[in-house]
Amino acid sequence: MNPANLDPALEAQVIQETAHEEDHRMFGFIIFLLSESIIFISFFVGYTVYKTSVTDWLPAGVAGLEVHEPLINTIVLVSSSFIIYLAERCLHRDNLWGFRAFWLLTMAMGSYFLYGQAVEWMSLPFGFKSGVFGGTFYLLTGFHGLHVLTGVLLQSIMLTRSFIPNNYSGGEFGVAATSIFWHFVDVIWIVLFMLIYVWQ
Amino acid sequence: MSDASLPLTPPSRQPQPGAPDNWRRFFSFSTDHKVIGIQYIVLAFFFFLFGGLLAMVMRGELITPDSDLVDRTVYNGLFTMHGTIMLFMWTFPMLNGLANYLVPLMIGARDMAFPRLNAVAFWLVPIFGVILIISFFVPGGPSQSGWWAYPPVSLQNPTGNLINGQSLWLLAVALSGVSSIMGAVNIVTTIVRMRAPGMGWFKMPAFCWTVLSAQIIQLFGLPALTAGAVMLLLDLTVGTSFFEPSRGGDPVLYQHFFWFYSHPAVYVIILPIFGVFSEVFPVYARKPLFGYKVVAVSSLIITGLSGIVWVHHMFASGTPGWMRMLFMFTTMAISVPTGIKVFAWVATIWGGKLRLTTSMLFGLGGLTMFLFAGITGIMLASAPFDIHVNNTYFVVGHFHYVINGAVVMGFYAAIYHWFPKMTGRMYYEGLGKLHFALTFIGLNLNFLPMHPLGLQGMPRRVASYDPEFAFWNVLASLGAFLLGVSTLPFILNMLSSWVRGETAKDNPWRAIGLEWLIASPPPHENFEQIPIILSAPYGYGSDEPLTANDPTKELASEPSES
Amino acid sequence: MNRRTLLILVGLAIADLLISLWIGQQAYHWMPPQASAEALLVDHLFSFMTTLGSFIFLGVMGTLLYAVLFQRAAKYDTSDGPAIEGNVKLEVVWTAIPIVLVIWIATVSYQTYDRMGILGGMGPMAMGMPMAEAASVAPTEAEPAPINVYARQWAWEFHYPDPDIRSTELHLPVDQRARLLLSSEDVLHGFFIPAFRVKQDVVPGRDISFEFTPIRKGRYRLRDSEYSGTYFAANQTDVVVESAEDYQQWLATAVATPPFAAQNVAYEEFNQETQSALDLGWETVKPAPAPVVNYASSENDPHE
Repeated sequence: MNPANLDPALEAQVIQETAHEEDHRMFGFIIFLLSESIIFISFFVGYTVYKTSVTDWLPAGVAGLEVHEPLINTIVLVSSSFIIYLAERCLHRDNLWGFRAFWLLTMAMGSYFLYGQAVEWMSLPFGFKSGVFGGTFYLLTGFHGLHVLTGVLLQSIMLTRSFIPNNYSGGEFGVAATSIFWHFVDVIWIVLFMLIYVWQ
Repeated sequence: MSDASLPLTPPSRQPQPGAPDNWRRFFSFSTDHKVIGIQYIVLAFFFFLFGGLLAMVMRGELITPDSDLVDRTVYNGLFTMHGTIMLFMWTFPMLNGLANYLVPLMIGARDMAFPRLNAVAFWLVPIFGVILIISFFVPGGPSQSGWWAYPPVSLQNPTGNLINGQSLWLLAVALSGVSSIMGAVNIVTTIVRMRAPGMGWFKMPAFCWTVLSAQIIQLFGLPALTAGAVMLLLDLTVGTSFFEPSRGGDPVLYQHFFWFYSHPAVYVIILPIFGVFSEVFPVYARKPLFGYKVVAVSSLIITGLSGIVWVHHMFASGTPGWMRMLFMFTTMAISVPTGIKVFAWVATIWGGKLRLTTSMLFGLGGLTMFLFAGITGIMLASAPFDIHVNNTYFVVGHFHYVINGAVVMGFYAAIYHWFPKMTGRMYYEGLGKLHFALTFIGLNLNFLPMHPLGLQGMPRRVASYDPEFAFWNVLASLGAFLLGVSTLPFILNMLSSWVRGETAKDNPWRAIGLEWLIASPPPHENFEQIPIILSAPYGYGSDEPLTANDPTKELASEPSES
Repeated sequence: MNRRTLLILVGLAIADLLISLWIGQQAYHWMPPQASAEALLVDHLFSFMTTLGSFIFLGVMGTLLYAVLFQRAAKYDTSDGPAIEGNVKLEVVWTAIPIVLVIWIATVSYQTYDRMGILGGMGPMAMGMPMAEAASVAPTEAEPAPINVYARQWAWEFHYPDPDIRSTELHLPVDQRARLLLSSEDVLHGFFIPAFRVKQDVVPGRDISFEFTPIRKGRYRLRDSEYSGTYFAANQTDVVVESAEDYQQWLATAVATPPFAAQNVAYEEFNQETQSALDLGWETVKPAPAPVVNYASSENDPHE
């Protein structure tokens, strides 16, 4: 080896040590989300198979799903994705209060979505035992709703942590991951909305 | 640590330092990948013995045609739990243990990417193991629907209780899935992100390639099973009707969900064992792995193909003709990358200087069993033939040649090969060879007779059978008991060697690989300094050094020449 | 490679081939009697795959065995073998060979499956195309209504629509295409007659058309091949293939017989004390009562 041997050796240590958990976490989180998305894809495929093959698809007395309210819900959830992006931008510029404001707004929109979902569930004339249609409807919306709830909880943790002094000086993995999770939940919802509400 | 002199102070690598350096550490929430690896392997082996015991009771029942030793419900519970335990409590944890122990050593890392996650993933295993064992004692007994848990049988729940064998089974499988996903995220991240400098993809040992390929399958396959399992659990507990045909459900859809994961799961199991073969053969043949790059890439090709073959388990199920033909072709295609590997191993061994240690014997034995299983596997891929033997003992014989033949033998090859590294002791070669002979004879006596039985039309999962099948069944049962006995010399060997075996050198096999450059057993955090990789693995017969530096030396005292 | 080694290799390959061809012929004897047109096709395919498989297995094992026997390191020889890392030509060859073999096997399998044509539509949830080509043996005249096959926990029942007969033994005339409609009342079952090499899962909620051609007289076993719960193993009955006259005779006798409860292993075993050494009292789904039929099979009848 050349005389500069020590340098690559040293570099090697530095790469391994500093790049430890901090950097890997985002990588790990993204492959986790990719994996998670397969659960949704499986449910979607299942829904499609049922929809195209089951003879008595809608339960007796049910004409279809109301689209109006869920559409408003959809608009709120999708726009919250832009708001959370703004929050992140603020954090990048060390505008902590701006971050908190937009972050709180995202949480409010997420909570509104959950509220809207709950109201819809209450008003529906069928339950999860109403054939395969009822089952898949509640399964898909419920499983997604669980993810929205997780997202809001994660956001509240991040919000609380923003009050810890110097919390974000060493990077903001938690915020970035929560944000990615939120976009993920949004994208899933768009597909879900198309499948359940638009394709009737 | 040694790198206090570095300009950048590393964040604490060990979230929980100070795990005791004695046997007690194996019972602690240690985050050291080597401790976790051994924890996985030992716990899994315990369950292997338990699952084997269940199998021996089954073979006891099957030694006579009538259902006389155990009640039919007991027999059905036995085969269900045998399959479940062998897959979820033995093969997956055992292979995760090997991956945990070896991958960081082989890629030159101090630990896994997420040590705490690693420990959590491990400690889930005893939890769902206990759940499975508890299910034997709930009213109605454990799940009796086979490890596939096909509805509607799995939904019948004759006890009517909410807590029943089937729901506990689903809970355990779900936890196993969570644990496996954690493990997969961790291992994939570790391999992709933490390879030592200089270790490009084609300088990475083949074992790591196979582990990566296997864990990618976990990532894309397990969620599909989870989806199916969630729907099944809802059907069973709250009364939805996804798979309940009497209320509009489709039981065949469950089969698709199940096999979309559970066929690739076979590759999750066999791929790392391919990796073990690729590691073991070059060492004891003193030759480089033949066609290393092709062997490495073929693992990923197998991963890719494994996602599009699942319907071959359903050729006789509710599948239309076009689906049967399509999946017949894809299934057969998978034999191409597999064949490449087999030929490469043979070429590795050919013309070498063979040393028939216990590890090599198990490797060769495993390869033999796998070759046989591969050939019956292609037969099974052929839909018209599969229609005859589907769900018969031919299939049982085939996959036991894979899982007990290739995988368990490959596991033994790995254990004997890395035992000196893991424990710092040598095992007794004589006992090892006795273990090999008993295992090899037992395996073939147990599983070869299952092929004629299947061809003759004996269905699997039967507690009783027509008298014409008695002859081969007696042979198989004797083989099973011999196989049970064969574990005794192994256990004796491992226990006594670990306690008072001869001290092992750092590299007793003169093997090439990062793990053999460091002490046996490796120190905490493995390397004093991270090695810089110069050459591809398996440099037998060439003088090229593997690394540019000596990873056992502290960095501060490193002289500046290689 | 010199001429001598080449000759030896060719000689070994020929020997391997001859042995494999012999094993391939033996493969016919490993199977149950060939009682259907489909059995001829399947056995031929199996023999073909056994020949190819034996050739590969013996070739690879022979190579390995030679290496193990004659290429061992001497006791104190610590040197390495030749540093051969690969050989592109060889690797191309052994990638090409499996590809060719696989295409060959798949093509033969496809043709076999196509000629069998055992699977028809799948009831209300039919997803596939019906198989077009029937087996060559069966000359079809006016298609009679299919025999209804009812699978349940744990009994087989066959309903002949014309004349209206129920039986627990499946009777079929020889050399005529048998047409069945499979349905299940509870869980998945598998309709499996080893001597015919045919099998089809019976899926609750679907009516599956199934057909094959028996070509050999005799009594064969019909087994449940898809695990169906506690008494799964006992869910067996017989298929009788007989001449057209005997078949008509049997139909006539059955019509004249008033329905009675058939012998049923599961139901009887459930209602009597257990004889097993180890019974933990685990609950089971209750077996359906024995079918009430015009003709019943007996477990004591000999079968092939």
